[in-house]
Formats: sequence, C-alpha cells, structure tokens
Amino acid sequence: MFRVVLYAQWKWSRLVVTLGTIAAFILPALSVQGASRDVGSPLKAGELLSLVQSWGVLYPVLAAALGLLVAIATWAPDHRGRHVHALSLPLPRWRYVLLRFGAGVVLLAAPAVALLAGAVLATHLAAIPPGLEGYPVALTIRFALAVLVAYAVFFAISAGTTRTAGAILTVIGGLILVQVLASAADVHLDLLTPVQSILLNWPGPLAIFTGRWMLIDV
Amino acid sequence: MFDHIDPRSPTPLYAQLASRLRLAVAAGELRPGEALPSVRRLAAQLRVNPATVVQAYRDLEHEGFLEMRQGAGTFVRDVPTGRRTSERIRQATVLVRQLIADAGRLGVSLDELHSAILEEMGAKAS
Amino acid sequence: MTHAIDIRGLHYRAGRSFEIPSLDLRVPTGAIYGFLGPNGSGKTTTIRLVLGLLRPRAGDIRVLDRPMPRQAADVLARVGYVPEQPHLDPTLTVREAMRFQAAFYPTWDHAWAEELLVAFELDERRLFGKLSKGQKGKLMMLLALAQRPELLVLDEPTDGLDPVVRRDMLAALIDYVSEGGATVFISSHLVHELERMCDWIGVMDQGRLVTELPMERFKNGIKRLVVSGAPPAVAAPFSLLSRERNGAATETWLVRGWEPEMHAFFDSVGASLQRVIDLDLEDGFVELLRTFRTLPPRPEEVR
Repeated sequence: MFRVVLYAQWKWSRLVVTLGTIAAFILPALSVQGASRDVGSPLKAGELLSLVQSWGVLYPVLAAALGLLVAIATWAPDHRGRHVHALSLPLPRWRYVLLRFGAGVVLLAAPAVALLAGAVLATHLAAIPPGLEGYPVALTIRFALAVLVAYAVFFAISAGTTRTAGAILTVIGGLILVQVLASAADVHLDLLTPVQSILLNWPGPLAIFTGRWMLIDV
Repeated sequence: MFDHIDPRSPTPLYAQLASRLRLAVAAGELRPGEALPSVRRLAAQLRVNPATVVQAYRDLEHEGFLEMRQGAGTFVRDVPTGRRTSERIRQATVLVRQLIADAGRLGVSLDELHSAILEEMGAKAS
Repeated sequence: MTHAIDIRGLHYRAGRSFEIPSLDLRVPTGAIYGFLGPNGSGKTTTIRLVLGLLRPRAGDIRVLDRPMPRQAADVLARVGYVPEQPHLDPTLTVREAMRFQAAFYPTWDHAWAEELLVAFELDERRLFGKLSKGQKGKLMMLLALAQRPELLVLDEPTDGLDPVVRRDMLAALIDYVSEGGATVFISSHLVHELERMCDWIGVMDQGRLVTELPMERFKNGIKRLVVSGAPPAVAAPFSLLSRERNGAATETWLVRGWEPEMHAFFDSVGASLQRVIDLDLEDGFVELLRTFRTLPPRPEEVR
C-alpha cells in the first residue's frame, strides 16, 4: 500500500521535490562563493561569516516552502474528490493519513540528503580561515527538522476538510488583521507577541526556523 | 434472436425468453444437439438478471425441450415432430387470439378480419 | 446472512433542509436490488450512509452482517463502490489507478482486471483526468469488479453515458453476478435499465422509503382498469388509488393489489370491467410517487 501511495505522491510533487533538491544542493556552494581554495586571496573570517549568514536566510525559507508545497501536493487529489475515494478504501482513516504523511517524509529526504552532500562539498572546497569550522551535518539536521516541522504543520492543516483548513487560516488571518488595525488605531493590543513567543521560542515548534543558519561558524 | 424481449410487457421476462426459445426449437431454428449460450453469457448479452435465464432454461428442460448437462452446458433436445408441430400450432393460436382481441378493440368485424387474412396470405403465396 | 444490507430505523439529518426521518431498508443477499427515486430523494445519502462515508444520528446499519460505520475498514474490503462522480487522482494513468486500487484489496483478480481492460477498450497509458465521461465510468466499474466484492454498490453508474457504454458496463456487471454470490445495490434514474436486471426494487422519495418488494410484485402491483357503469362510492377488495373520467362512457381507475379473480367484484356492483392495463416500471413508479405524495403521512412518521 505504501508503495502506491508514495508513487502517487511522487507524481504530484516531483517538480517541487526536484527543484528543492537542486536548490538544497547548490545553496551551500553559493553561500561560500569567493572562498574557494583556488582563487586568489582567501576571505577574512568576518567577511566569510557575514556572507554565510546572509545566504543562510534562504535555508529556513527553502525548508518552509518545501514543507508547504509537498503538504499541499499530498492532499490536492483528495480534496478534489472530497475525500470520497480515500474514505471508501478499506483501511481506517488514521492509517491512510499515516501513509500519506510517510510518503511525504520519504520524498522530503531527498532535499535533505542533497543539502548534506552540497554542504560537505562546499565546506571541503572552501578555504576556511583558522578559528572557524564547517558544520555541514548540524546544518543538515536542522534543515531536515525544519522541513519536517513545516510539512507536519501544513499537512495537518490540509488534511482536514477544506472548511477546517479555511477556518484555521481565517483565524490566523483574523489575528493578524486585528493586530494591524489595533496598531493603526494606536490601541495597545499585543496579540501576536505572546503567540509568537509560544511558537517561536524554544521549545516551541517553530523555534527551529529562527536564528542564524550558519554553514560555517566559530 | 432475442430482440423482442420487452421488460415493459406484462409477461415476465423469463416467460418471454422461454417462449422464444420454445418456438425456436419447434421451428427448427435451434437444431437438436445444438448448444445454447451459457446462462452467464446470455444474461450479460441481454443485460437481464441471470436468474431469469436460469428459470427459462429450467422451464424448458422441464418441458423436455432442453437438457442442462452439468459442466457441459445447455443443449437442445431432439423433440419429436408431433411435439414441435403442436408447439407451433399453440403459438399460432396465441397470435390469432391476440389478433382477434385487437380487431375487436378497433371495431373490425370477424368477417373483415377473415377477408384481410385470406388476401394477405394469397398475396404472400404469389 | 440473509441480508447483505440491513438498515433499521435510520435517522440522518444534514443542515435544516434535508432529513431521513426513519429508514428501514433490506437488501437480500444475492439479489440485484434497484434503488429508484427522484433527484433529492436521499438515494445518494443512503448509499453514503451504507458505506460509512456519513454517520447517522440514530438507527442501525449492517452491511455484510457487520455494523457500520464502526467496522467500515473491514467491510469496505468486501464492497465494490461505483460512485456518482468518478473522483480518482487525475494525474494517474489507467494502469497506475489499477495498481493503486489493487494494493488495497487482497481479493484483487489481476487476470480479470486485464480482461476487463481489453473488453472496455481502455488505454492503460491515458491519464485519468483526460478520460471521457464514459471511459471514466467504465474504469470505475472495472476497479469495483476486479476487486471481486461480495457486495456492489453503484450510485447512478450509467448516468449521462451513451447507450453503448451503458451496455458494456451492465454486461460486465451481469457477467460478474452470474458467477454467483454477489449482491448488487444499484441506484439509477434509468428505470428501464433496472427493469431488466433487478429482482428487487426499492423506491425512495423525500427521505422516505415508499415501497420495497420483489420486482414481479411491483410490476404487477399497480394497474389501470377501464371501467364503465360503476357507482360513485365502492368498497373494493383492492386499493383504489384514483378514478378519472374518460369522456362519457368509461373511467380509468388506478388500483393497487389487483388480482384477476376480482373482476367478479365489478359484476356485483353492476359495473363492467373493460380492460386491465399493465403499467411498466416507469409508469408504476410515477403513479406510486404521485399517490405517495398526495396521501397524508401516517401518524408514526410525524415528528
């Protein structure tokens, strides 16, 4: 059963996964460009760190994008048919959901592996000044976890009926709208910071996205 | 052969089927020893309930027109000439009865009907 | 197991407008049961309830002798479903859709699936999303049959399809049923299609089951009688549903429960029975609904 679900999911998300894999592979190389051993003068530590840091912003973006798009692709065919087909299959709903989730995880392993390969390659080829080190494995693990969290969150939102998904997004949108209006009207109302601190600070699930993503660090 | 099976007719489908088969055997359309289509094939072909075909075949087997051999299929029996003739006559009687009833309903007299029959038969013979 | 589907006291409600107050429906095992009813009568809802796609408010549903929707996952392995709207993954080809289904059903018959693929003239490499309506219908039928189910539930499977496709689909269905054992529960608008195939008929209207009986009894149940000379009020041995004048001489009576011996009744009231007109299934269905809707509801149905 898992094999056919995986295959179907691959058909829907192959473009996203392929592009994401390529992006994950080249991103580390891009982030250390100019620091190659062959080229003239090696970069100073400070320059390298800021270069790596600014490119590092793209990792969480890529992770979130992959998580979102693969999650949407997972549920798109079911939504179109209003889940009738899935519900008429002879297995409990939770097992079906698990199959779908697992298929997405397997597909998302590809960009993570690509990142590892690219990161290892980049740190190997780059001329790293003394005092700094490459952390390709740590970066990859963090990336993989971020992808997983993003995928899980959007998967959960998409798994429900369109109505539930719409409701959740409406609530979020509503919160943001109220906040914007409140600050425009100069009313002291802080809805988002508490929510933010719950979610984004450790051990909130979205904490993994915040902070600096450093391929090379002290 | 079964183009005239009419689900709308008051006659049950199995009876219509049986009647058609009976006549086919009596008229020699179906020869002795000939194999009839399997229940499955005929039911699918006519898109009728298989039980309908089974009942028709069974009725005919009971009357001695067909023989259902386990595993081999359903075959036409060698029906004696006298039997076949009487079956055809029986069918003719049914036709005539219907014709007379229809004529009565339309206001055609028996004499008029009789003349028309003779004329048509004469026309056919020539 | 005498009944493949056994529904008792089913109560379902969706929003404020549509309700099935109390449904009792039984499909005998091995029957080909035709489910008739106008649009909006609740046929599709009933089918969804049978398959566990919807939850009832009250009542019992047993499919293949198991309670639904509690044991849906087990039961559905033995039930083939042809839905009203084909809704498979549009990015899968015919072959891939077959492989997908096959993975979920241990009883899948690969050899027969291939035969049906050929018989239905489906191109295995064609994307599901690109198939014509008729081809989609045939594929859904293939997927339901290749599973070799004990029960087939079909929701208007031939609706909007051309006669050739309808013929092919139904021939395959009858072919499967001929092997014995399978029960068919088919809803359709095409009354004459059901008339040929079904040995049981259930009629639904406005969320209620109007009648449920063997096909023969249904077809022979309602008749039109052409009568002359009958007095205005009669106590008949049959159920007189309506009387209409045809000009000066005769009336047409719509009756239920007519037996041929009852013509003696007409002699006894000084009337003469001129003709008995049989109604085909479609007419019978229409007349039945007409009388059902004009009669007041029985007390136990009023909530």
